[in-house]
Amino acid sequence: MTQHEQPNLNLPSTQFSPSVEADWQAGRLLMIGESYPENTYEFFAQIIEWTEKFLGQEGRLLHVELRLSYLNTSSIRAMIDIFDLLQEASDSGKPVSVSWLYDSRNPRASELGEEFKEDYTFPFEIAALRS
Amino acid sequence: MSLLSKNQKLDEELEQRVQNMLADDRYTDHPMREVLEQLWTAVGWQLARLERITNISDRYQNAARERVRLLSRRYDRQIRLLERVLRISDRYQSMLKDLNVALHEASTHDLLTGIANRRLMSECCRQADERSTIDGSTYSLVVLDADHFKLVNDTYGHEFGDRMLVELAKIFKLSIRSNDLCARWGGEEFLGLFVNADLAEAESVVQRLLDSVRSIALDFQGAEIGITASIGLAQHALGETYADTFRRADEALLVAKRRGRDRYVIAP
Repeated sequence: MTQHEQPNLNLPSTQFSPSVEADWQAGRLLMIGESYPENTYEFFAQIIEWTEKFLGQEGRLLHVELRLSYLNTSSIRAMIDIFDLLQEASDSGKPVSVSWLYDSRNPRASELGEEFKEDYTFPFEIAALRS
Repeated sequence: MSLLSKNQKLDEELEQRVQNMLADDRYTDHPMREVLEQLWTAVGWQLARLERITNISDRYQNAARERVRLLSRRYDRQIRLLERVLRISDRYQSMLKDLNVALHEASTHDLLTGIANRRLMSECCRQADERSTIDGSTYSLVVLDADHFKLVNDTYGHEFGDRMLVELAKIFKLSIRSNDLCARWGGEEFLGLFVNADLAEAESVVQRLLDSVRSIALDFQGAEIGITASIGLAQHALGETYADTFRRADEALLVAKRRGRDRYVIAP
């Protein structure tokens, strides 16, 4: 399969879920908003599937940019699953990186980024975003 | 010598004896030779079977042990994951709690002056009404309005007007007792709620308050600008709602304005 045939994933944000832009060509996964969807598993399954596919087929950089202001418990679990996938890919020599961007008006959100970052060894940037 | 090797030695000796007897020409026609030979074959077959069973059993045991090892590793991983999810979730929860406090503060206080807003003041007045119904306690309302505010704004600009409101709020807050509340009621109008205060008590506070307002000198391009305010004052009457008391205080304020401002008037 060529790169051009790979699907992008575009989900508009809702009251309960973040917007998702997964751009295969650019090697970028962007999530913005709050996450407490009714069926967290279904919502994240498509993102996890896209990520797995990209990491499985490409050797290029996958950059994940996250501007998530609120995550419910199941969304936290799903994000850890995604980070674990990235770690696995990184362990096998594939380039991955994460930017955790938080609202500078809410400095406690940076602690959350740190908590997520924990033991991951791939580049995991935590930075304030002035909105 | 261990029991095992002793048994093995006996087994080997027995095997040797049987082999010797079967090979011995003297027993070729012995009636028990054929039986012994058959028995020996059966023993060999049984031994092979036993060994096979032992091998299979060992394999099962190894597989079970491996499974336990994998499961316990997976269990440890799940526990770590669970702990991590809980830790992060707890953080989100406490962050939401903080945000809630900040939101509550923002929704009950005036952005410009930092004192209570109309929402909080209304709620406190409602509670004062309730207390009054229950135990007959009283309160007084003080309506303060900056004099010639529109003119001040037009002359010195809105930024100066804002500074004036901030200063008035500060003075008002400093003048009241610790249990009382003052709020920005709207525009250039402030409201004070003096709990358990009759007119005499409220009046003494109001006098001090007006004196303090008169002492304000705001800088405008190097010049000192003084300000004044007018006040209407009413004590809650039994059976009234705070809206009624407020209306009387507001009417008294209008009288104070009409009488030339920079003064207070007590509502009848």
